[in-house]
Amino acid sequence: MREFVLGIAIIVGVFLFGDYLHRLGVPIPGGVLGLLLFLVGLQTNLVKLKWVERASGFLLRHMVLLFVPLTVGLMNMGTLLSRQLWIICISTVFSFLAVLLATGLIGDRVLGRVNDQMESPNEP
Amino acid sequence: MNSSRLFAHPFIGIALGIVLTVISYALALRLHRRLRSAIPILVACVPIVAVLSLFRIPYSEYNRGGSFLTWWLGPATVALAVPMYRNGLVLRAMLQKLSLTVAVGAVVGMVTAAGSAWLLGAPLPVVMSAAPKSVTTPIAIEVCRQLGGIPQITIAMVILSGVLGATFGRYLLHLIGVKNETALGAAIGTASHGIGTASLVRHSDMQAAASSWAMAAAGVFTSVLASLLALTMR
Repeated sequence: MREFVLGIAIIVGVFLFGDYLHRLGVPIPGGVLGLLLFLVGLQTNLVKLKWVERASGFLLRHMVLLFVPLTVGLMNMGTLLSRQLWIICISTVFSFLAVLLATGLIGDRVLGRVNDQMESPNEP
Repeated sequence: MNSSRLFAHPFIGIALGIVLTVISYALALRLHRRLRSAIPILVACVPIVAVLSLFRIPYSEYNRGGSFLTWWLGPATVALAVPMYRNGLVLRAMLQKLSLTVAVGAVVGMVTAAGSAWLLGAPLPVVMSAAPKSVTTPIAIEVCRQLGGIPQITIAMVILSGVLGATFGRYLLHLIGVKNETALGAAIGTASHGIGTASLVRHSDMQAAASSWAMAAAGVFTSVLASLLALTMR
């Protein structure tokens, strides 16, 4: 429990700091800025993984709860949404296919070679 | 006592908004455990919308409590660094090439989503809402606000992208001959964020690690790109 509270406090602190930097004029949103700072903290061992593992797991597992209130707001925009519904669906499906196929094919080309390199030292 | 008056109360109203949301979410999770096709985010809204319309409570009054929960999307974004760090250790040898792949995917996602919405004649706020539709919800909402979009439309598109990836992602990638496991995971994480990633967990650790890393990285790339875009628009 103490570990969990400590983890939440660290994560909220990093977010507030990121948000503060954003308000000072850094163009990247506070959350993403916090994510990058936090990543640096973990990589430099400034923040120990075991301090934040449980808290971050909890936040990510229940992320859906956090966007329920915004989604409920969908009901306020029934008319706009129904007029744009087809555009929203077609554009999502099209863009989904484009991203999936582009990333998959490029990744297969680029990363295929990495795997080869990793395997080669084991060969006689 | 009139229930809608309770929601208007400065403190009780906020507490009621939070409690109503948490209970609805817990019920939705229960149903999801029994019935996999019941998507929690959609099911969770049903009891809330029912209560609000039954007692004629305006959304703005409910959202005084709701916005407390929305605020936590910021810390949740920060928390993404933990799986990104952990999976980064597993993927250490290929992080550079993986970054390149995901960055291309993130650009393709923004351009094709916003571009196709624009070509189909959508008004500017809808075009801007489409741009971050491939990335994980908390980041997508931030990007959408930055670009002047409508968060609700972004959320709808984010969820649809996730469900498409979880349902057809692996099949489509096999169909076009993607064999590298890391590439497969990266594609699903970039196109379908957490919902797609969750569908890989039972197949392969490598795919899930790549997908989870790609989802966070795609969010960061998209956000940085949108920030630059927002700067030039000003």
